Amino acid sequence: MNKYQLYRLIGKNADLKTERHPMLDKNRFMKFLMIFMWLYYAAILIFMGVVMAVGMKGSYNGVAAFHVFDGGLLYLLICDFWFRFGLQETPAQNVQPYALLPIRRSFLMNVYLSRAGLTWGNLYWFFLLVPFGLIAIAIPLGWIAFFGWLLGWWLLLVANGYAYLFCRALIMKHMAWLLLPIAIHGALLAIMLVPDKNPLDMPCTVLMYDFLQWKLWPFLLTGALIALLYWANYKLQMGMVYDEVAKKEEKEIKHATQLNFLNRFGRLGEYFKLEVKQRLRNKTVRMSFLAGLFMMVLFSVIMYFSDVYDNSFMRSFICLYNYIVLGMMTLVMIMCYEGNYIDGLMSRRESILQLLTAKYYFNVLLLFIPPIILLPLMIIGKMSVWMNIGYFFFTAGVLYPLLFQMAVYNDNTLPMNTKLTSKQGNTAQQIVSIVILFLPIAFEKAATALLGEPWGYVFLALLGIAGVATHQYWLRNVYKRFMARRYKNMEGFRASRNS
Amino acid sequence: MEIIINNLRKTFGEKVAVDIPELTIHSGELLGLVGNNGAGKSTLFRLILDLIKADTGTVHMKDGEVDVNVAETEVWKDWTGAFVDESFLIDYLTPDEYFQFIARLTDTSDEQLQEFLAQYQHFMADELAGQKKLIRTLSAGNKQKVGIMAAMLLRPKVLILDEPFNFLDPSSQNAIKHLLKKYNEETGATILVSSHNLQHTVDISERIVLLEHGKVIHDIDNKEKQAQDILENYFEIND
Repeated sequence: MNKYQLYRLIGKNADLKTERHPMLDKNRFMKFLMIFMWLYYAAILIFMGVVMAVGMKGSYNGVAAFHVFDGGLLYLLICDFWFRFGLQETPAQNVQPYALLPIRRSFLMNVYLSRAGLTWGNLYWFFLLVPFGLIAIAIPLGWIAFFGWLLGWWLLLVANGYAYLFCRALIMKHMAWLLLPIAIHGALLAIMLVPDKNPLDMPCTVLMYDFLQWKLWPFLLTGALIALLYWANYKLQMGMVYDEVAKKEEKEIKHATQLNFLNRFGRLGEYFKLEVKQRLRNKTVRMSFLAGLFMMVLFSVIMYFSDVYDNSFMRSFICLYNYIVLGMMTLVMIMCYEGNYIDGLMSRRESILQLLTAKYYFNVLLLFIPPIILLPLMIIGKMSVWMNIGYFFFTAGVLYPLLFQMAVYNDNTLPMNTKLTSKQGNTAQQIVSIVILFLPIAFEKAATALLGEPWGYVFLALLGIAGVATHQYWLRNVYKRFMARRYKNMEGFRASRNS
Repeated sequence: MEIIINNLRKTFGEKVAVDIPELTIHSGELLGLVGNNGAGKSTLFRLILDLIKADTGTVHMKDGEVDVNVAETEVWKDWTGAFVDESFLIDYLTPDEYFQFIARLTDTSDEQLQEFLAQYQHFMADELAGQKKLIRTLSAGNKQKVGIMAAMLLRPKVLILDEPFNFLDPSSQNAIKHLLKKYNEETGATILVSSHNLQHTVDISERIVLLEHGKVIHDIDNKEKQAQDILENYFEIND
């Protein structure tokens, strides 16, 4: 088999990995939903492309529409970068299955890195760029200009993809690396937004215009950037493959947290200990928890020091986000981590009920973190105390019970301690996350519009208190429904374990 | 505790994994389950443990007045210990923490737990108790030991072990044989053990069931170790 055939074969295997993922394989609705979302956003981008091309035509003091569009180059690349989270895998983990085969690891890394550059995903923005370019460039300047411009965009998106892969790999090593893209993008946004005139507008416009004119320098420059990022990824990810294959995990833990004070709570205390240890000792779980905390603090700091979030919607959103995010990150995927040891749990009487109860208490305790973070905002009057009280109880007694329903339906095991993975929940779980972040705001707005402040928040709190008071009832209900579906769920957990 | 299987059938697509019209495992029996790969041994265990749904049929556990269908209630879990594979282990705990977790769930006191661990100290070979290693960092053999010990921890009336000799070194294999025999004699527990190791199975089992394509093709009384020849012929060992 020559190298090209091997490249094709590995690529085919990578495609099959996606196509035959157990969650898609057994769930037609999920397949349909993914295709629908893909088409839906494609349609929105096409629409935006046409509207922008037509809307910008002849406006902006005679500046050509594509110049205006290209001035926003960095905004689009920043969006593209952050959208890639959760959608694009890092190559290092994919290399692992071939570790013992007689294929050079460097060849495998090159296969996956080149596939990352040539992926169709880099062309998704073309749903926006092609209709825009057809109207704003191809018609007035011709096809050659249009293709030069489009090729330029593609090269920039490929470079952006490699930049994402590099950052993503670093972030998987340590959460603190998240600060790198935040700092770079934050600085760029500050440069573009703070002065009256965006100083980066002209360089972006010139770059894209020279692509359009097929000048050599922008192609050379972007090509060199891609080569540099490719090389950086290669070096970084090769090291990470060795980590992954060798599973260089600490052989001994430094501190075996005992949590003996929980012993007095009997079996429930034991499941509570599991909750704590699950977060402390598993990289994936720990990182999602820290990411949630980080975002809570970030939103609150921005709101404290600036006026960009000083509006009714953002106040509600930040308050809700703070209360729900830590619970949401694990409860949307409730039981998915337990899928790793579900047979052991199911071998003990009513263990799932006790596990769910411990999970509930643990997550209610987490609700005492947001008031600490939001206290400065309450003190300076940017956020009302009543809103906090309302969301505290509403989360504990209404949103948590809703999220706990996922325990009945989740049947996909998620890895708890994999160093490199993008496998963080299926589409249905992602949709629930989005709904749970926005629907309560509509509910809150309706309550405060009808009852006024603070009575709207009192109403939210009362609903929540009712939910908290009846937690044993609805938790048992969830448990019974889980048990009724147990065979189907256990089958799903087994099928998706190690997939 | 008697285990009574009636019309038990499980298929995966076209493939029949288990098809047992009737099988009773008597109280206090140490039963060995043998068969080639895909014969249905693990599936049968999972059906007995209510971890997969049977297409038809029932599994009952019966002891005097007590008679439960495992698919309809969870009470049998109080007297049943099992280890089938790693999905029984919570791998981010240390062995001590895991034993303590199981002990608390089964109302075993700390003193009883320490006594239990002391009793099996030789089997653990100083590699499990008192170590600050997480289960996921242990070798396959040591994980196997943790699973087996956790299953035995609650002093179960029914003990189910799938391939307990796998991954173990020869002395540990020998140790587990003695442990199972001793436990069976001392407690009168019903023990089900599957294995590909015919010698070990013949050594410890008083009855051996041979499965093929999910069906029981031989149910052999092995009190006098008479199963050896039948099994060797079936598996064509001496050819």
